[in-house]
Amino acid sequence: MNRLEIRELVIDVPGRRDGRALTLSVEPGQVWGVLGPNGAGKTTLLHTLAGLRGPRAGQVLIDGRPLAALGRRQVARKLGLVFQDRHDGFPATVRETALIGRHPWLSAWQMEGGEDLRLAEAALERLDVDHLAERLVSTLSGGERQRLAIATVLTQAPQIWLADEPTNHLDLHHQSAVMALLAEQAAEGRAVMMCLHDLNLAARWCDHLLLLYPDGEACWGPARDMLVPAALERLYGQRLATAEIDGAPVFVPVR
Amino acid sequence: MTTPRRLLWPPLAVLALLGLAALLLSVTLGSAALSLADVWAVARGEGSPLARTLILDLRIPRSLSAFAVGGLLAVAGALMQVLLRNPLADPYVLGLSGGASVGALAAMLAGLGGAVITGSAFAGAFLSTLLVFGLAHGTGSWTPSRLLLTGVVVAAGWGAVITLMLAISPAERLPGMLYWLMGDLSYSRSPWPPLALLLVICLLLMPLGSSLNVMARGPLQAAALGVNVRPLEWTIYVVASVLTATAVTTAGSIGFVGLVVPHMLRLVLGNDQRLILPACALAGGTLLVLADTLARTMIAPEQLPVGVITALLGVPTFLYLLYRSR
Amino acid sequence: MLALALSGPVAGEARAGSLCAIDDRDREVCLDQSAERIAALSPGATELVYAAGAGEKVVAVVAFSDYPPEARDVPSVGSHTRMDLETLVTLNPDLVIGWMTGNPPEQLETIEALGMPVFYIEPRDFEGVSSAVERLALLADTREQGERVAAEFRDGMAALAGRYADAEPISVFYQVWDEPLMTINDEHLIGKVLTLCGGVNVFGELSRLVPRIDDESVLAADPEAILAGGMGEENRGWLTHWQQYPSLTAVERDNLYFVPPSLIQRPTPRLLEGSRLFCEQLERARAKR
Repeated sequence: MNRLEIRELVIDVPGRRDGRALTLSVEPGQVWGVLGPNGAGKTTLLHTLAGLRGPRAGQVLIDGRPLAALGRRQVARKLGLVFQDRHDGFPATVRETALIGRHPWLSAWQMEGGEDLRLAEAALERLDVDHLAERLVSTLSGGERQRLAIATVLTQAPQIWLADEPTNHLDLHHQSAVMALLAEQAAEGRAVMMCLHDLNLAARWCDHLLLLYPDGEACWGPARDMLVPAALERLYGQRLATAEIDGAPVFVPVR
Repeated sequence: MTTPRRLLWPPLAVLALLGLAALLLSVTLGSAALSLADVWAVARGEGSPLARTLILDLRIPRSLSAFAVGGLLAVAGALMQVLLRNPLADPYVLGLSGGASVGALAAMLAGLGGAVITGSAFAGAFLSTLLVFGLAHGTGSWTPSRLLLTGVVVAAGWGAVITLMLAISPAERLPGMLYWLMGDLSYSRSPWPPLALLLVICLLLMPLGSSLNVMARGPLQAAALGVNVRPLEWTIYVVASVLTATAVTTAGSIGFVGLVVPHMLRLVLGNDQRLILPACALAGGTLLVLADTLARTMIAPEQLPVGVITALLGVPTFLYLLYRSR
Repeated sequence: MLALALSGPVAGEARAGSLCAIDDRDREVCLDQSAERIAALSPGATELVYAAGAGEKVVAVVAFSDYPPEARDVPSVGSHTRMDLETLVTLNPDLVIGWMTGNPPEQLETIEALGMPVFYIEPRDFEGVSSAVERLALLADTREQGERVAAEFRDGMAALAGRYADAEPISVFYQVWDEPLMTINDEHLIGKVLTLCGGVNVFGELSRLVPRIDDESVLAADPEAILAGGMGEENRGWLTHWQQYPSLTAVERDNLYFVPPSLIQRPTPRLLEGSRLFCEQLERARAKR
């Protein structure tokens, strides 16, 4: 059971009055997209779901158990979060950074073993950064760092993926690769929820959508129900022209 | 941070050997000349009474104290640098040595002695810890920059109190007070308390180290990877405080060891705290043993406080490290 | 190394062949035979040991042990606040003269723990000086010389006391240091010399032994005479500082006197010489009234 359940959740966006209470469930196999303009609370939502922030009201449940009742390590074994912002700590290599993902699985006295190293190597390879394994993270480009962050979560091997703008800084080729990776995770029975800037990526890859409006309003449901031009125009405050390409809708901002 | 266990041993073994060599050197050297043969004789249980007294009663306790204090300060410095995510942090940056000094000096002013001074120093260090954490609290978490700023201010406050105490103290108490501020192993008594603490803390360095590796990524990232950030921060701070307070009560405020040693080791050994922390314990101890040997032999029979040597060596070393890391 | 014995309070009695004396911490120190290798851990103690006639037996001194001149050739164990214990141990003293308020307690404890007998000297009054000389002479088996020097000192101080007992009181300020400005109160040994000479220490009532004051308080007290030491034995520069206050009585009457510090600031028989100088200077000041 890899299910992330949200009950009557009101996220805490500082300075904004209570938004709509969210009640939805990210089931195994589903790929959820969270859409909304800047400041709508997408990152706040993901951090709340990961247990890094407290909500103003409501509950988050992982596999039926309340998040608040679980230890951090237990949560980390189940749920992985790809952050939007990262900062450089002390210098570290790419491989070392990916290996950190194994932390929830190791006891205090354990050092990384062969299996852990293998998982990290495989993740680096999958995200096309294995050739950079010995490089210091500070020498990487934005896109390479983004892929490393995803590789770290892949090394962590969670059953529930939360990703905050996973395609930031990535070129088209890698954008598709990352989205394909996330879809594959879902296909393998995991639950995936990601914040996306790019409406068209969401339209193509997500089967469910959560729209977060800047005033706190929200609506959610299957993607085809959410991809209504009027709703999207209201969401982004921008007129959109719609077309269909390859069986999926495409939205283009117009004047 | 990928350091398979088998790779931990070589650098640690090298450092351990260096440490032993330093101890041997420090036991052989002194203002009274002894040869290696004399040392060997004493080790076998023989040797002249003079050599035995010099080695067993004077040099060994002092060298062990130096090793323990150096190790404690270096580990405390490494912990603070990770806690504050700032390579310029040292064990005293959050006001610990200031608080300990105020506690000790107050006891001295009141004419008390011995164990009361030590206890008072500990109390001062912990008061400082609580003060800094309490003041830095505010809304949200204790961000490193907030902790640092608060610590700098609290340390300055302690400095003012120390200056006041020095100004009003009777002249004959001054040398004793200055020792706290300069760092001096001439007055160290039993080396066993700090040494025992160092050994105990070494047992904890492994689990501490792995959590610290994750913490270095940032608090949110660490939490997302299963670290209980706030309790860990508290733990690190308390541990660093205990180590520092013990070091300061044994030998006063010896500077630069806690700043330079972790830095140097990170340059050479990377950033896996599971390797760095024990390496700090060994390298810090080795360094201070050598510095103290210099302090008591350089212009013998005049004795220098070891804090002078660490400062004189520490400043150019630190400048060099800064230059290297550009 | 000889054993340290702590027992009953009888001073100066030879018990079963041993030499015993009570130190200034009220501990009895007994030696099985006379001290032949003496370590003096303060410049004052060095002087006292030489005065007691045991100068040839001194094997270790501390820095600044400059009197008598022979002491400069004796090996030093460094500063009295941070002694080189290794050198001390190597010199193998059989008696160590300690300074309670000057030597660090941790190092004194270590010295005792190593089995060296420590005899603490801390004269606080004139009798303390002569008694110190006598007790040291007893331990070093140089009683004849020691008792002679002690007697000279006692008689000399008594003579001074007698001569100036009825002298008219004269207000005095004694300057110990210039930056910061320091003086002494009546409890201090120098204060007692002042009183002996018929002087009235304008800061005598202050509670601290060595109070820190300022120019204003000196101006307010307006002493008739100002006596000062200096940085060295010859330096008289401190007195010129007061000449910028012509309204001071002591300046008007030119009652600014220099006393070489070593004659007055060490609790040794030279204190007699210093006391004589003090009294003479105060007498001259009285004459200018």
